Amino acid sequence: MITLERDSLVFRFPEVHGDAVLRIDFQRTLRIPDDNREYPLPPGLGRFPLQHVDDYAENIPSSWVDHGGVFLPMYQAEALWINFSSPHDYMFAVKVAAGKINAVTGESWSNKLCSTPQDYVVVPEQHWLDGFCIGKGLIRQFVAMPLGQDYTAEEQITGKAEHGGIQIVAYPIKADIYEATKTKTGFSSFDEINFCMDAMAASIGLAPGGVMKQEIYEDRHGYEAWEQTASSRCFVHILNSMQYASITGIAPPTKPISAQEYTKAGLPWFEYYGADAKVLNGAPKLPELDSVAAKGIKKGEKPLAENEPVSVVNVKKLGKVPVVREGEF
Amino acid sequence: MSFGEYLRHIREGLRSGDQKYSVRQVAQRVGIEPAYLSKIERGEQAPPSETTIRKIAAELGEDPDMLLAMAGKVSADLQEIICRRPQLFANLIRELKDTPDNAILKVVREIRDGNW
Repeated sequence: MITLERDSLVFRFPEVHGDAVLRIDFQRTLRIPDDNREYPLPPGLGRFPLQHVDDYAENIPSSWVDHGGVFLPMYQAEALWINFSSPHDYMFAVKVAAGKINAVTGESWSNKLCSTPQDYVVVPEQHWLDGFCIGKGLIRQFVAMPLGQDYTAEEQITGKAEHGGIQIVAYPIKADIYEATKTKTGFSSFDEINFCMDAMAASIGLAPGGVMKQEIYEDRHGYEAWEQTASSRCFVHILNSMQYASITGIAPPTKPISAQEYTKAGLPWFEYYGADAKVLNGAPKLPELDSVAAKGIKKGEKPLAENEPVSVVNVKKLGKVPVVREGEF
Repeated sequence: MSFGEYLRHIREGLRSGDQKYSVRQVAQRVGIEPAYLSKIERGEQAPPSETTIRKIAAELGEDPDMLLAMAGKVSADLQEIICRRPQLFANLIRELKDTPDNAILKVVREIRDGNW
């Protein structure tokens, strides 16, 4: 079962184990420059607000109601990262897709886990996912772009603008493996008609942005360790921030500051490497995608404001328990 | 474990990996005097206000509701919810007093999954 608690998705599997609790939230962040340089991890600037689609069923596209799940607001060209935590260190295999394109492999969505190539991240080893995996230790940042303009990973791979949003499915590890490991380690005035006609334009998908250093870790537990009879999934729709305000009557978060402003203020960026954990090499499909800036050049457009390179000097190395990755405001 | 003992336990655990979790630095970020935080941890001072407990919870990565409960407090938002329908919620909570966690989770609102 999945509940919505303080803008976090909370996955619980009481039928598997009482400790099987996974929390996922979506962090606002800086958009790193899309200039093919490798940047460290940007800070978290707070959680995106999440709403049940059912609470606004009359004002959102009917396809969203069919999908169920939740929605969040993003500005065009805003970035996000996904924050995973497991309060009891229970292990989970988590598949993440954007527009039903797997963020680790670039393959189309399927509910089931795949081990070759590994198409999921393992929590709690994986603390965050900031983008599409494009190679060993490298990702391209998740950047919000409207569907229908060919920027999103979904449109570049499938040629269609159908889904948008983020899709997540989580599988808990088998209870006996968890127990063995635990013992071993010790641990509206809105115009509804106009909106419905323009429903697809209101939807946002995730496109590949700038390059960032982030490792995706290999599953050290093995495919058979996961309790594949128990899984929960959630469709996270993304709505343009201005329309979010019209539909919910709630003001969306303000636009985050630019990477240039943040860096100029001397605030920290972050680095995290998982000690001796093996790192996935990345699958061939995602590195072939155009970044937002590259696609913009091909289209003769300039989709990213404030995309100048930044020189990052203040980089904090996060420790073994990287609790905080927040901007200091 | 008391509120103060728990706080100290969590903070010291974090401090073993990162000096930014010293009493001084945590107090500074939370906006209270280090001596005050130290007294709270030792149980020489009553738990602080809800606002401060929330800041401490955010700083240490702890659940604010749990810390508030350990401090013998009910958060303002919950008080507001209960006060809107006091009899209903008081009865509900009493009814659920001895109910197992699994059963309580069944009355919690789930995020609905659909066709996709």
